[in-house]
Amino acid sequence: MSHKIPRIGIGGPVGSGKSMLIEKIMPIIAGKGYRTCIISNDVISKEDADRMRKNLATNQGLLPENLVIGLATGGCPHTAIREDPSMNLALIEEIEQNHPELDVIFLESGGDNVMTTFSPALADYFIYIIDVSGGDKYPRKGGLGIESCDLLVINKTDLAQYVGADLAIMERDTKTMRKQKPYAFVNCKDGIGIQDVADHIIQDVLFEEPPKTRQ
Amino acid sequence: MSTDFSDLSILQLSDSFFPSGTYTMSNGLEMFYLKKSLQGADDVKSLVQIFLEQQVGPADCVAASNAYDCAQAKDMAGVITIDETIFRMRLVREIREASIRSGRQLVKSVLSFNKDSFLVQYHDKITQLNAHGTYPVAFSVASNVLGISKRSCCLGMCYGFTVSMVGAALRLGIIQHMEGQKIINSLKPTISKTVSDYIGKNYHQIWQFTPQADLYQMQHEKIDAKMFVT
Repeated sequence: MSHKIPRIGIGGPVGSGKSMLIEKIMPIIAGKGYRTCIISNDVISKEDADRMRKNLATNQGLLPENLVIGLATGGCPHTAIREDPSMNLALIEEIEQNHPELDVIFLESGGDNVMTTFSPALADYFIYIIDVSGGDKYPRKGGLGIESCDLLVINKTDLAQYVGADLAIMERDTKTMRKQKPYAFVNCKDGIGIQDVADHIIQDVLFEEPPKTRQ
Repeated sequence: MSTDFSDLSILQLSDSFFPSGTYTMSNGLEMFYLKKSLQGADDVKSLVQIFLEQQVGPADCVAASNAYDCAQAKDMAGVITIDETIFRMRLVREIREASIRSGRQLVKSVLSFNKDSFLVQYHDKITQLNAHGTYPVAFSVASNVLGISKRSCCLGMCYGFTVSMVGAALRLGIIQHMEGQKIINSLKPTISKTVSDYIGKNYHQIWQFTPQADLYQMQHEKIDAKMFVT
């Protein structure tokens, strides 16, 4: 008998820090006893999945190596998480069948701010991540990713001063575009703001329930 | 007004928009490209033709045809036997897994708008792990349920395979969009003849022989940087 495991979709442009965000969140989530799995929808390589597997599974032992899974998308990551998420869903069904002990599944996928969004059939909670190097105009450009996600994460705040991005403008526009929905400024490299993102996950996705192993 | 929508149903099932994930697969075409064995449209056409004549026709089409007859006779044991046969003929792990993932999602998608009891039974067998749900068998059972003729079912499956391969070649940049349509058009006689040749075969006569493709698929499964499932 399989049980539905909460799924968090993390989308964002190439290089915005999706994998790094997962790598920083995982120690906090796993540290609280939650068991996790990561599915990385790769455009062309298994590099992200391989790196997360080595860092999080092999080196830190936060999850089994076979629960960091790379999924080839035929060059269509948008399709794989929205119009036709069937290969992701098939994989998740297998995971739910074989690993009912899991508390949460992370799904990572590259995608631009205009079109990226996860099918509600695939992800229960959607985090979209951008970084400041695109300029402080990025939030006000909107798009499905920025506007529809449950949590907008703005990464690499330490670079703002070097690329002429005004964080106050980004925050103002974020509030305008997202109405009352939450956002977080982070610097994944130094871990700044990561606890805030993890708290959102624990409160809004896991509802502060204890891990299954402690229930 | 006619209530027979089977012509539209086969268009729906074989449309690349139908959510069964076939756009993620290249059946090893990507490896042929990486090995520089595909230089352009003529090579792509030749490769797809070989697949149709040496694998999709004698294996998938025979399986689909026989599974269709079993579905028509409400013979679930027969469907499962053919499902098992075609599963075992998928020599490469990724190809096997992709076939059953696509097939299972196809069955679930059809179930979302058609609760036919035989399809429900087949889905139950899959979830109970008593059937694999390979793509050709799932496609034919669903076709039968939707009132699609056996020939249309086999044509639709072969056409879907062709579009999937041409789409992969297009996204890899081997061909351009007009060339893709030329290839599809030029393969219509092959698709039609392949279906005619194999639609009447008993499943004991099933075969496939694509040794070069098998080897490339095995290599493709293991490479780090790739766009497609093998």
